[in-house]
Amino acid sequence: MTLPDGVGPLAGVKILDLSWIVAGPTVGRAMADYGATVIRVESPARVDTARVVGPFHGEEPGVENSGLYGNVNAGKWGLTLDLRVPGGQDIFRRLAVWADIVCESFTAGVLARWQLDYSHLRELKPELIMLSSTLLGQNGPYNQVSGFGSQGAGMAGIQDLAGWPDRAPAGPFGPYTDYPAPRFALTALLAALDHRYRTGEGVFIDQAQAEGSMQLLAPALIDYKNGGPALERRGNDDPQMCPHGVYPCFLPDGREESWVALAVATDEQWSRLADLLGADGSLSFEQRRQRQPEIDAALSGWTSSRLAAAVEETLQAAGVSAHRLSTTEDAANDPQLAHRNHFRRLPHSLHGETVVEGPRYILSDTPIQPARPAPQYGEHNVLILKDVLGLSEAEIGELAASGALS
Amino acid sequence: MLSPYRIIDLTDERGVLAGQMLADLGADVIQVEPPTGSTGRGIAPFFADHPGESIYWAAYTRGKRGITCDLSAPRGRDLLLRLLETADFLIESSDIGVMAELGLDYEALHERFPKLIYTSISAFGQTGPKAHYVGSDLAIWAAGTPLLMSGDDDRAPVRISQPQAWGHASGDAAGGSMLALHARHQSGRGQHVDISAQVSAAQATLAQVLAHQLGAADPERYGGGVKIRGQAIRGTADVADGYIVLLMGPGPAVGHFANHAVKWLVDIGAAEPELLDEDFVTYADRAATGKADPALFPRIQDIMRDAVATRTKQQMLDISIEYDLLLAPVLDIVDLGNSPQLGHRSFWQELEHTDGRRVTYPGPPLNILVDGEQQGICRRPPPELGQHNAEVYTELGLSSVDIDRLRSEGTI
Repeated sequence: MTLPDGVGPLAGVKILDLSWIVAGPTVGRAMADYGATVIRVESPARVDTARVVGPFHGEEPGVENSGLYGNVNAGKWGLTLDLRVPGGQDIFRRLAVWADIVCESFTAGVLARWQLDYSHLRELKPELIMLSSTLLGQNGPYNQVSGFGSQGAGMAGIQDLAGWPDRAPAGPFGPYTDYPAPRFALTALLAALDHRYRTGEGVFIDQAQAEGSMQLLAPALIDYKNGGPALERRGNDDPQMCPHGVYPCFLPDGREESWVALAVATDEQWSRLADLLGADGSLSFEQRRQRQPEIDAALSGWTSSRLAAAVEETLQAAGVSAHRLSTTEDAANDPQLAHRNHFRRLPHSLHGETVVEGPRYILSDTPIQPARPAPQYGEHNVLILKDVLGLSEAEIGELAASGALS
Repeated sequence: MLSPYRIIDLTDERGVLAGQMLADLGADVIQVEPPTGSTGRGIAPFFADHPGESIYWAAYTRGKRGITCDLSAPRGRDLLLRLLETADFLIESSDIGVMAELGLDYEALHERFPKLIYTSISAFGQTGPKAHYVGSDLAIWAAGTPLLMSGDDDRAPVRISQPQAWGHASGDAAGGSMLALHARHQSGRGQHVDISAQVSAAQATLAQVLAHQLGAADPERYGGGVKIRGQAIRGTADVADGYIVLLMGPGPAVGHFANHAVKWLVDIGAAEPELLDEDFVTYADRAATGKADPALFPRIQDIMRDAVATRTKQQMLDISIEYDLLLAPVLDIVDLGNSPQLGHRSFWQELEHTDGRRVTYPGPPLNILVDGEQQGICRRPPPELGQHNAEVYTELGLSSVDIDRLRSEGTI
């Protein structure tokens, strides 16, 4: 007895997903997209933070209204389970034996206290593959730091590096370590699965989400560790491109704020941009750098009297890298994202319809559509307990009465 | 784990991390460069003691072997085809159309190598109205929507000073390639994996890229935080020697952290003990219905800001762990370089370059046990230009005479 198989390269792969918010669930979402059967376990006691942050359907906060939760959990089956009670722990063990892969993101040591960590689960199932993902990793003096990717951004060096040199760091948008981390975890889990097919061996992956983000800072880290300067935030300046920045434009309705990003990487690109500006197209990079305030002022003057979309098209036609700073409405109407079928509309029993992002890879031979929207709170409890674990209605009733499900 | 697999890595600076992710998992990754060297070797920063050597290129070719091959020449293309006989994956990040001009596009190669997984990384994708747009870190970040959400509200939106967009795309390329490997297990066929950096960048918005389509308002940029419907939410606070990320809020998801913060404030005498009776998990609902004082929480936030202002980043980290608070120091590059946490986890790895220099690198991104055994750390330093030509081409069955001839005619 089991849940219906998905469709795709991972059909038949079974995943128990105890991770929460974004960094972990994003991994399970990708595997569900490609056919894996993913059971997302949530605590009935502490609501997943992703359910209480927006964007909400119709701006209406509510645990079933979050577009974020929907985006990172589409295609999964939902179970509520209280791991603090013995009945909940027992169900967890049985599901871990069912699963090929367990993903979790508890603070280091929490699962061990319940004897549900990798070393215990491995005794039940030696070939288990398990991902434990935390901000700073399973060991070390600060492994007890808990929190969100926003704290992670602080501790991964990203927060400090976004902003202006004369001011406090502005920071990136949102919990930044949640963005790179799932890429590393997904790739490693799929490698582990491949390894197990060949060898039968299990794999444990200890992910420090901050260390994942720091891979994207590697050049700056290597520079400092080997006698070079420590990179500091530098606005939108680039060491090898000039002009390089964000310039103001008008919106079609005449409201002031709209912006275009522009990056000039070569002398040839500069000469084509200079033709449009009526500037000296022969300036070298060093000369442009010396005259950057003057060039930026001329550019701002030129962009300010134009629409961002028009600037983007004119510059791209001239072979210069530029793009309007898209709003989410621009993204909804972006012909390129539409061409890639990036936004997927799914029927939803509460909202009529919801929208999620498509996968971030187009696979020519195995296109996908998420099978269903993210589960509502405890939506598939009975289905999972009956069809996966074979519990009778009486047993489910006892479990519910023990407080394991709610 | 990936030791049976070979990756032919044709990427430049735009996709060079993807192959490294697979190399760190055990794959044999061969970086192929033109005989004049990849454009990636010209990307800043450069080693302080070797100003001609790109740290960027070294950072993301560590763990790979390196060869040269002139793909603009027929002999070079023949050589690549021989190499592909032995390969499972090809990864490339060239401008749209370049591979087709060389006769090395997916369609051409799929016929000859039906099992080959062919992964392309580009700014906007292989096809579509913007496929030929000129990409750059900044333009991609703009097109994916995170750029407009980041920065101080009285200045232009601002990016992260170490470029990020191609790294996100490369991460998706590695994941997409592995999905294609599993598809090959099912079908026996390779396929084309098409990665758009614009789409990858959209992930850096916490799903806010969906806001308009869900009927929600866009978040607006605000230094150290965010503005939602014009309401500014601070996410950082000043401390004695810098900044911390500080999130304090009532509600079911984070209210217990606020309770912990109150406990700390009471312990240090900054707040009155009666506040320990308040439960910030349920406070917001009660404040909304007149059953709790709506001015209470803002007052506690002010007390908290005053309390942290006189302490250091390190003190606040220790307090955060002791009391389980939702805060963390804003570490800079110097802090990271000296982090006891990273030191404990052996994050820094020293590699000996071919010229004998010992260079410190961040280690692989994950700590992996296979069948209970700690995985070896990838010890291969970044290859010098063409360093493994003789080794790799000999493996292909070429004689030293053949290799010398390829060298003298400039193919490698």
